[in-house]
Amino acid sequence: MRIYAIAVFLFLYVPIGIIVLFSFNAGRHASELRGLSIQWYGKALSNPFVADAFFNSLIVALSVAVLSSLMGTAAALALQRLKGTVRVLFDGLIYISVMIPGIVIGIATLVALVTVFDFLNPLLASIWPEGAKPPKLSMGYASVIAAHTLFTMSIVIILVRARIAGMDRALIEASMDLYATPWRTFYQVTLPQIYPAILAGFLLSFTFSFDDFIIAFFVAGANTTLPIYIFSSIRRGITPEVNAIGTMVLAVSLCLLMTAQFSLRARTNR
Amino acid sequence: MGADSKTNRWLTAALLTPTSLWFLFLLILPLIVILVFSFGERAAVGGYAGGFTLEHYANLPSRLKAFQNTLIIAPVGTLLALLVAYPLAYYLAVRVSRRYKLILLVLVIVPFWTSLLVRTYAWIFILGGRGIPTLLEFIGIEGVRLINTPGAVLVGIVYGYLPLMVFPIFVSLEKLDKSLLEASSDLGGSPYKTFTQITLPLSMPGVATGCMLVFILLMGEFLIPAFLGGGKVFFIGNALVDLFLQSRNWPFGAAVSVTLVVIMLITVTLYMRMTLRGNTGRDESLM
Repeated sequence: MRIYAIAVFLFLYVPIGIIVLFSFNAGRHASELRGLSIQWYGKALSNPFVADAFFNSLIVALSVAVLSSLMGTAAALALQRLKGTVRVLFDGLIYISVMIPGIVIGIATLVALVTVFDFLNPLLASIWPEGAKPPKLSMGYASVIAAHTLFTMSIVIILVRARIAGMDRALIEASMDLYATPWRTFYQVTLPQIYPAILAGFLLSFTFSFDDFIIAFFVAGANTTLPIYIFSSIRRGITPEVNAIGTMVLAVSLCLLMTAQFSLRARTNR
Repeated sequence: MGADSKTNRWLTAALLTPTSLWFLFLLILPLIVILVFSFGERAAVGGYAGGFTLEHYANLPSRLKAFQNTLIIAPVGTLLALLVAYPLAYYLAVRVSRRYKLILLVLVIVPFWTSLLVRTYAWIFILGGRGIPTLLEFIGIEGVRLINTPGAVLVGIVYGYLPLMVFPIFVSLEKLDKSLLEASSDLGGSPYKTFTQITLPLSMPGVATGCMLVFILLMGEFLIPAFLGGGKVFFIGNALVDLFLQSRNWPFGAAVSVTLVVIMLITVTLYMRMTLRGNTGRDESLM
């Protein structure tokens, strides 16, 4: 039993280890290990395409995380007050948005946005003042952020709701009895209790968005994100540079995940 | 309450507005647009032109191979993932002491939240020409081809989705009342009998949830077949990327997506029916 467990853990972690090991390859070919060096990290970091893609991913992931934690928390707070049809409707929508494969979200968003843009662009051009260049709506940051947020927002709702369910109602009632305003009750009683879940949701949203390939592949337009860059470089052949970038991507998500775990752990320990 | 409840209702509505807008404009509306597109004509330059036709649905058999591959490999992959995951989940839930349980569980789940892209391409390395086949040559077995086979795709699937399978099973096994196991062995039940008559039936909700999650995600999988199937073993997801981004046949692509979603809905409904309460551990399994 124990040996089996060790074998499965090896199965899970050896491939990750191989990527990390080969990223320190001193040789020029990806598959032959010739001594260790960090030259490929230098190469990767000084590559302007990588820098661009990294910057795009960062902007998208940060916006997604901020938007989803704000909207998700607001929705979770509202949903706990609701019963009946509206609640069932929202439960269904949350469920669908979490379960639907990324590729369907990507395609649906692409098709819907292109349709809307095709309709709006001539309209904008016609009402725009003579001489000035009318804006042309197209795929970009906003479309990726919007599509990612659909999924991550639902994750935040689920996490925060679980936390609200485990919250001590007596504290809120006590606060009301002591004539605290609703805002003050929220700020001083509710928020500190649900904060770990919001933080975990923020970090998971960031991680999801930072790592997502398939949705961004459809809706990113000209803004290449890091996973899209990695995908197209792999298509051209694996180089130690790709391994270095991959290792950095893994490192970013691992750090954030550990933080998320700790903040969720804090919630169970209280 | 009284005067309060009116402000309360406004507040609730205000808090829900952004989320509702998102659901409306990025989930419901796009799905409707896809549905409409799937009945439309293809424009001369690709993309969409209006109209109503069923030709795209009639044309579905031209992508039969993708549907076949997906509908065979996805269930097989789910089953394999279950076979690998169950003993591990059992070990973690029943055998490991409290101290290490959580840390080991976290170690299983963490890979799921890291880049599937990077983790999958590691297998191009391992299964590719200079990976395992080279090692096999050392011990005298030559000419083994691993990458770009259904087997390679299955390995990638088990590897990628194992965490998602382990977690719900772990949750249901963890909830299991250990005294039932003791009672069974006290009454002379063999370990095998205890397992098949008590442990396994009581962990079925977790098994059902895990299988459903993995199966649904596999139905829309693109990366694993793209990397490890090398154009020979492709899924519906690969066909969709081709239809939308390369050949730009949007109405046909829309018809394929609608079919995919319908197949998924049918599967999920059947699953729910079969397991009655299939949502045990669903919410938690995301973390």
